[in-house]
Amino acid sequence: MSFIRYVRNIRRTGIKQWWHQLQYIGDAKAGTLVGTDQFGNKYFENLNPDDEVPGRHRWVDFAQHYSNATQVPPEWHSWLSHIRLQTPTEDAVMQSMTPPWKAPWAENLTGTRGAYRSYNTVKPKINAWEPKVIMRGEARP
Amino acid sequence: MSFARPRLALGLAPRILATQRSTALRSSLVAYRNIHSTRCSHAEHLESRLEGPIRSPPLGAGSLTAKDEPGKDIDPYKGGQSAIDKAVHLFFFTEIIRGMWIVLENFFREPYTIMYPYEKGPLSPRFRGEHALRRYPSGEERCIACKLCEAICPAQAITIESEARADGSRKTTKYDIDMTKCIYCGFCQEACPVDAIVETQNQEFSTETREELLYNKEKLLANGDRAEAEIAANLHSDHVYR
Repeated sequence: MSFIRYVRNIRRTGIKQWWHQLQYIGDAKAGTLVGTDQFGNKYFENLNPDDEVPGRHRWVDFAQHYSNATQVPPEWHSWLSHIRLQTPTEDAVMQSMTPPWKAPWAENLTGTRGAYRSYNTVKPKINAWEPKVIMRGEARP
Repeated sequence: MSFARPRLALGLAPRILATQRSTALRSSLVAYRNIHSTRCSHAEHLESRLEGPIRSPPLGAGSLTAKDEPGKDIDPYKGGQSAIDKAVHLFFFTEIIRGMWIVLENFFREPYTIMYPYEKGPLSPRFRGEHALRRYPSGEERCIACKLCEAICPAQAITIESEARADGSRKTTKYDIDMTKCIYCGFCQEACPVDAIVETQNQEFSTETREELLYNKEKLLANGDRAEAEIAANLHSDHVYR
């Protein structure tokens, strides 16, 4: 029953964590903390089908108040989206595929000053006419 | 709900059977129970019909005719509802009560709603989201400016210009994707001979303005540099099928 599960999860996590979850995820969830990424987002998992409906067994607790889904870095994104079975901290494939030149992740910065603005990467092929005045007595080019 | 249904079957059914007030009403309520809790009783299975001596077709006929059809004398509607029962269902509105009961059952069930930014639905490693240009593990760009992706793009969203670099290798100077044109068909990553252009699993790249969706080469390379671990792991998990 979902009400019994709700009370059970409050007893497991404590009142403070329940209030925190109520502000964000809107449900009382209890699980094991499987990892924390470089931004401080916490990732939880509970594989017990009596506690969580399958499909809701992995979740994230964002570090920021104004959270959005792009604050999850791509390694944890593939864990959260159920693409990878293991967390990136214990996934050997993910670790061996990480290159040394990996760039730091940034969230979707649209609407801020850090938003991407498109520009041309080649020299323009059509240039405006720039008039050049030839002084009297000079030879024409 | 599981706790309600046995109670209904135990408590309600004998009383209904005891008071045989109206044949039509009684049979309708019994049928109401049957529809929910028991298997479909009036449909006979083909296996049971086929039991018994199978009449083989006469020699030389070559095939079964309509006369040799097995079990054609069985009436499949034998134990089913009569027309009166159906009319009772319709005019006594038992369908409405049954529908309300299903609503009540689901009211006490756990919701299947996935709370989106915190929980996510499952995604395929072949999911086609935002584009990225990849690099070799040495850090060299993969793209060789063969323009196969530009040629195959059905929406004509890709624009490529190329030049020879100082060391003689051909690289792109312009690799623009108009993400407002792109239909995310994935033909570009299928056409690419060096796995340079890929569609990552990122689907949260919505923007406020239209200009931000006109991606150039720098943006695509930056996407690849940020998400290379995830892209490479997804390609690795699918490499046996490619």
